[in-house]
Amino acid sequence: MKWRAIFPIAVVLLISAGCGKEQPAAANAPAATVTVFAAASLTESFTQIGTRFEAENPGVKIEFNFAGSQALRAQLENGARADVFASANAKEMNAAWREFLVKPATIHDFARNRLVVIFPKDNPAKIATLNDLGRHGVKIDVADASVPAGDYTLQMLDRMSGDRAYGPEFKRDFLANVVSQEENVKSVVSKIRLGEADAGVVYATDVTADAAKDLQTLSVPDSVNPIASYPIAVVAKSPQAILAQKFEDFVLSGEGQEIISEFNFIPASPGLH
Amino acid sequence: MAAKQTNPPRHSWWLLILLAFPLLGLLVIPPFALLARTSPSTLLRYLGTPAVVQAIALSLWTSAATLLIVVVFGTPLAYMLGRGAFVGKGILEALIDWPIVLPPAVAGIALLMTLGRRGLIGAWLAGAGVQIPFTPIAVIIAQTFVAAPYYVKAASVGFAAISRDVLDSAALDGASPLRRFRNVTLPLAFRSVMVGGALTWSRALGEFGATIIFAGNYPGRTQTMPLAVYIGFEIDMHQALTLAAILLIISFGLLIGIRAAYART
Repeated sequence: MKWRAIFPIAVVLLISAGCGKEQPAAANAPAATVTVFAAASLTESFTQIGTRFEAENPGVKIEFNFAGSQALRAQLENGARADVFASANAKEMNAAWREFLVKPATIHDFARNRLVVIFPKDNPAKIATLNDLGRHGVKIDVADASVPAGDYTLQMLDRMSGDRAYGPEFKRDFLANVVSQEENVKSVVSKIRLGEADAGVVYATDVTADAAKDLQTLSVPDSVNPIASYPIAVVAKSPQAILAQKFEDFVLSGEGQEIISEFNFIPASPGLH
Repeated sequence: MAAKQTNPPRHSWWLLILLAFPLLGLLVIPPFALLARTSPSTLLRYLGTPAVVQAIALSLWTSAATLLIVVVFGTPLAYMLGRGAFVGKGILEALIDWPIVLPPAVAGIALLMTLGRRGLIGAWLAGAGVQIPFTPIAVIIAQTFVAAPYYVKAASVGFAAISRDVLDSAALDGASPLRRFRNVTLPLAFRSVMVGGALTWSRALGEFGATIIFAGNYPGRTQTMPLAVYIGFEIDMHQALTLAAILLIISFGLLIGIRAAYART
């Protein structure tokens, strides 16, 4: 290696680093950006709410970070910059509240969700009833217990095992059929759509119009269905607290709730707010 | 043969240090920052939990299997690329490099499209009653797909660097092709083969994206250490930190071990 050859390059690098002037901010940048941390299951509905909110509030840009609720809470804990937090369960919101990550007065439930069983359209395991999920050899994909959907799935199994229609062995038989515990409920949908597994447990909202093309659905009775509550709150250290509150109000408004229900969510009980 | 290494002249030496330092810091500080957040006692406590033991065992045996497969099938391929001259060699080399530049998630989806239940080959396998996704076999395939190119690349460079005269004289001495390979070619390319093997093993041990998509996540079956760290991060930061520290120590131990083995030869 010829060291002399490196010299001019190094000098140029140093000079350019030393002389760099700060670029002026782009003139047409939006006046304000609101960063919304939202659970993965809110991807479609919140994207539409964001578009509508931006249309009604010129100059405001909504940026989303969709991920598992606990991953979002962990990011907030570690100082991620955000304005709004929308969780898929009360547990993560409560954890955020206990750690002073959100403004307590702003916590409101804005939607509810229920579990359904999905299977590929060609139904390779010939699933007709929920009882079939305990049949030996059925390959079941679920969300990991660390994500809300997985936690609700376990609650559903506990309730089913206590129900005479399914029998006390149901939970054990079902879990013996589980082939994978996905880190994200959307992965369960993808793998069932691809036909990799015979059945999966997801939120009703995950069966979007697009997903429904590849899927069949089996509903889970209310008696054994843990209905998930989705709370929203303004982040304690929000740099855009006023706009964040405005976004939350929009989600809770009639217009926001209408969009929510278009995506198979159950709107939050009226009179709560 | 490697050129003799000497320090450059003093005036360029300080400039090199100055320029190398920021990158060196970025590469070295984060692993230590992670280790600093864990104590040896918690490390030992978690080391005994079944979930951690399962993940470590699965990671070690699948990555070792990957290495074995890559060496057995990758060495002939590397030899072909290193010493052969044939039409389309450049294209073949680019195709082999492909997995290196693919994002791991893309690799995982590509593997599903190939070996999934409705995949190109997987549909045919499923007809024969064989299903690969969600099994340790899928973990090994994912690791092999993303990690093999490192070995093939490094080893082929090693084979290419051997001078024609050395091999010719070995042939003149009447050595059989296999003996020539074992006694002349392989020792001369040993350094590259070892480096390639180490790279492949480390890459296999750290594989995440392709594994979680193609093999899924099930403790003891497909949940390797990187998956356990990711899932752990979502449940309990402390557990994730501990698992991550264990992964760091194991992988660093492997690297040191390989260097030591290399130094002895």
